[in-house]
Amino acid sequence: MKRKALLGIGAAAALLLSGCALNGGDSSNSTESATGPVTLTFQSLAYQDSTVAAVKDIVDTWNKKNPDIQIKLTQGTWDNVHDQLVTQFQGGTAPDIIHDESSDIMGFAQQGYLADISKYLTSDVRNAVSKDVWDTVTTSDGKIVAAPTLLQTYVVFANTDALAVEGVTVPTGKELSWDDFQDMAKKLTAGGKFGVGWGLKQPTAAVMNTALGFDGTFFDTQDDGTATIHVGDGELAVPQRIHAMAFDDRSLDPVSLTQSGTDVLPGFLSGKYAMYVGGNFLAQQITESAGAGFAWTVLPPLAGSAGPVQAANPQTMSVSAQSKAPEQAAKFIDYFSSAENQAKLAEGDWLIPASKPARDAVAAQTKDTPVWKPMLTSGDGLASAPFQKAKNYPQWKDQIATPALQQYFANSISLDDLRAQLTDGWSSIG
Amino acid sequence: MTQTLTRPRQVAPKFTEPPARRARTFTRPLQYLALLGYVVFLGFPLLFLLSTSLKTPQELQSADPSFLPKHLNWANFGDAVEKADLAQAAGNSLLVATLTTVVVTVISLPAAYALARLRTRLRGIATIWILLSQVFPFILIVIPVFLVLKQVGLVNNPLGLVLVYTVWCLPFALWMLRGYVAAIPVDLEEAGAIDGAGRPRVLRSIVLPLLAPGLVATSLFTFISSWNEFFFALVLIQDPGLRTLPLTLARFFGAEGQVQLGQLAAASLLATIPSLVFFLIIQRRLTSGLMSGAVKG
Repeated sequence: MKRKALLGIGAAAALLLSGCALNGGDSSNSTESATGPVTLTFQSLAYQDSTVAAVKDIVDTWNKKNPDIQIKLTQGTWDNVHDQLVTQFQGGTAPDIIHDESSDIMGFAQQGYLADISKYLTSDVRNAVSKDVWDTVTTSDGKIVAAPTLLQTYVVFANTDALAVEGVTVPTGKELSWDDFQDMAKKLTAGGKFGVGWGLKQPTAAVMNTALGFDGTFFDTQDDGTATIHVGDGELAVPQRIHAMAFDDRSLDPVSLTQSGTDVLPGFLSGKYAMYVGGNFLAQQITESAGAGFAWTVLPPLAGSAGPVQAANPQTMSVSAQSKAPEQAAKFIDYFSSAENQAKLAEGDWLIPASKPARDAVAAQTKDTPVWKPMLTSGDGLASAPFQKAKNYPQWKDQIATPALQQYFANSISLDDLRAQLTDGWSSIG
Repeated sequence: MTQTLTRPRQVAPKFTEPPARRARTFTRPLQYLALLGYVVFLGFPLLFLLSTSLKTPQELQSADPSFLPKHLNWANFGDAVEKADLAQAAGNSLLVATLTTVVVTVISLPAAYALARLRTRLRGIATIWILLSQVFPFILIVIPVFLVLKQVGLVNNPLGLVLVYTVWCLPFALWMLRGYVAAIPVDLEEAGAIDGAGRPRVLRSIVLPLLAPGLVATSLFTFISSWNEFFFALVLIQDPGLRTLPLTLARFFGAEGQVQLGQLAAASLLATIPSLVFFLIIQRRLTSGLMSGAVKG
């Protein structure tokens, strides 16, 4: 009797496991779209209240106009989207339409989890975005796996009253060189106040993105995602300057280097830092949190020897390869990417639309808010960077680059040590 | 010769405090002080949540923060309730946590008794298995768990969460409860048997009452673990109407450390209330059960 029971349990377990194995391979690309009415799931990561409302409005409008393609909106979060998608792709339950960012989705694209939507996008949408930005969502074999929507750049926020007190003129040109930025910071450092606060607790993204301004590309990436690393003077120019400002001329608060961007914000709002470097989305938080009378602006984009160039890492809209209706999903993405919709979303999030007509629309709608102009200008200098397509980049970023840069910004290792750690670390995981 | 016996003069004893009482007079205020410190320590997170939930965004970003809000900003509560469907999420969490607690208790009670009392070879193996099962990190098992649940139609289903939380909480609950059973003297059960009680009667009338604090502690652990769990819920639940509270609270976090702190604190404070009520209901049982476990001799 006991033996029979054990056999029964064993058989049930085997059936269950074999079922799992059969299902585990079910991630083939859907090339045929469903016909007839469909309901598609769309996971949005919108965060700001105004953006959440704008997304809902876009979906509602679409649903009214397209009774045969209904969109069911769900809310996700930026912090967990990667883990969530890993599991959902494995289980075949990913949303039909996926909101994420290019640096995260390209790994999924290489594994075949994202559909090629190039044939479904209208020429209006395709022509509205620069080739550099399209490159960030195109695989080595030419598949477009997402539509780029909003972009972030690193900008310098300035307390204009603090600048006036020290007699520093607010720069108004098309770009601000790192040398001029450093000089301004020195002049603004006095009486326990620092010229700059920069939250670099997670420093890799900021360094990799701004390194392009000095032609710092870090990687030579092949079509299959394999890459070789090169850490030269261009790659190290930004960390070297940050280090010099923090520990040589003391114009950048070294404590802020150990904090997150939002942790440093109170120091900027209270006047401890005359300038504050961070993602342009922080403008929303400044607007919300600054006391009455706090005067601030955004300075022209930081420029290195190669100009005001930064890496583009756009937010993206993709279609799951497991979707039963990829064509219909792509049609919604095409509608979502229209200039009117993108402008609405960009203003809510204080981000830069990838679409040029949408940028123009935002510029027209925000002409009375001067801080928008330099932020939109910084979007012109966005380019694709090789690291975004390097297969082992996420691992190198978390395990090698972040701890190495943290040590360097804590003044615990030298520049040569940093170079060695970044280079040897890539070899160890490659 | 007469001898007069003189009684030794009785001297009225001076009133002096017994040493134990004197010591108590000295230590009692210290005990209260320590207790107060402990209560403040335990209550501080709640007070901090309350204070944060009543601050304006400007005050929350102030470089010169104060513990008490300068102006009471009740809007955070309204915004939190409006944005995140807290009532529905609390209902989902309550359903999942309560069912998990019931299932874990029903399974772990007889299993713990068997592990503590029965002398079989399986006891050692089962104990090692319980400990080993705690070693595996979630991230290692989440995909297989997801695939199995998808096969049986329990993805995007509260029962799937109940199943996962049961498996997750059971080993530790079993381990806890086994300790409580082992602490009950076997003599008591033998005395009951000598008095003519069968095993069911011994279990019902002797073991169960003495095990009450253990059951309460175990169910509390299970309930709170299920109530707070985030990662499995994130992966298994997709329908907005089935989201549990931790998933709903994540709505207040944005990219790169952005957080709507005032609203998050307000929502978290509201989310804590059911746990506190649950604890208030059962804490009397927890303490009274501990007292009732005394054995003479």
